Amino acid sequence: MVTTPTISITLNGTRRSIAMSATTRTLMTVLRDDLGLTGTKDACSQGVCGSCTVLIDGAPARACLILTATLDGASVTTIEGLGSTEAPGPVQQAFIDAGAIQCGFCMPGMIIQATSLLRTKPRPSRDEIRHAISGNLCRCSGYAKVIEAVELAASRIAP
Amino acid sequence: MTDTRFHAPERLDEAIGLLTADDEARPLAGGQTLVAMLNAELLRPRAIVSLHRIAALKGVERRAGGSLWIGAMTTHSALAASAELRGAHRLLAEAAARIGHEAIRNRGTIGGAVAHADPSADYPAALVALDAEIEIEGPRGKRSLPAHQFFRGFLTTALEPGELVTGVVLLPGPAKAATRFEKLARVEGDFATASVAVVLGLDAGRVTSARLTLGGCGSVPIQSIEAEQIIAGHTLSDAVLKKAGELLAAAADPIDDVRGTAAYRRAIIPGLVARAVRSALAKGAA
Repeated sequence: MVTTPTISITLNGTRRSIAMSATTRTLMTVLRDDLGLTGTKDACSQGVCGSCTVLIDGAPARACLILTATLDGASVTTIEGLGSTEAPGPVQQAFIDAGAIQCGFCMPGMIIQATSLLRTKPRPSRDEIRHAISGNLCRCSGYAKVIEAVELAASRIAP
Repeated sequence: MTDTRFHAPERLDEAIGLLTADDEARPLAGGQTLVAMLNAELLRPRAIVSLHRIAALKGVERRAGGSLWIGAMTTHSALAASAELRGAHRLLAEAAARIGHEAIRNRGTIGGAVAHADPSADYPAALVALDAEIEIEGPRGKRSLPAHQFFRGFLTTALEPGELVTGVVLLPGPAKAATRFEKLARVEGDFATASVAVVLGLDAGRVTSARLTLGGCGSVPIQSIEAEQIIAGHTLSDAVLKKAGELLAAAADPIDDVRGTAAYRRAIIPGLVARAVRSALAKGAA
């Protein structure tokens, strides 16, 4: 009942045992500092900016607002699970092709959120895209290209 | 510095025991406020008692007599999409859908939000308008309170040490009801600058009962029996709606904060109330 020093999660499709060095560590801290998965970005730590968004059991969630110790048995997908530099996933490729990436800091969260949107709504309207990414802040304010990127991804995934 | 202890009991009585034994322990529901406070170093509890494994806090169940029980660990996303929320109870689904952003709604829970009692949050006004009962369990057993008695002030509730919100009970509303959760926020996903929760009972196209509650306009949800009587008893002309809105604005006790000044809130309440009632009627009975 007390502290589980080790938990088991499925991370980007692979079953992992994670030793909890401290019980109050968030998923974001464990991903970035313990596992070296630095694609998940740390900006506000308050759940406001969306840059640490990951999928937990397929649904978007803020990695900064989840204590890893509560995730025993869960499935976690980070930006690294959607593709690689050599083989980007379709949403990642669409963001590159649409020129949506400026400084890039918000992109992992945007792409995770867009991936989730396209799974539930393969051909979203512009308003639905705007609504879906409303919790992902881009301080370059490059929203127009992000919306175009999501439309491009949709046209490729569900032509 | 010693690390915060972490407990994840499977039984409710274990959780209550842990919270009762240590007044520096904090219960963790969805974590969308508590973990943000930990990150900001506003809190450093001696222990965290996570409620995520407790089956007794999960689920949505219809009860005898038409009441609906909602487990404290039910997420905002689950409520926003719940087919169990029908008639007057649709109001709660509308409020749930306006909380934060999708990623927050996927983790945040009604029990956590109710126990936190942020006056700008979306559930308190909706639960008061629905005459919901807040179900509580603690070291001295179970009790429940009407929502308007549960919320006591800014981040302050009727919970005693060791007590937890275990669920919310929605009593049957009017047979035919129209609802609206009208929220004015600076941007999508923000807390309300002001909100209006409306439940109208309808009979043959006439409004026979009305519940109107303001959120974000005082330390607790604001009600006005006079405003409700005016809405229920009259043809809903612009003048009647204006009068009801002015009564609610007079009952409000807003503060100046980052989302708006008290004067601004008082100024927008009548318009927001009129918009909420008209939207509810336009949508019709659900």
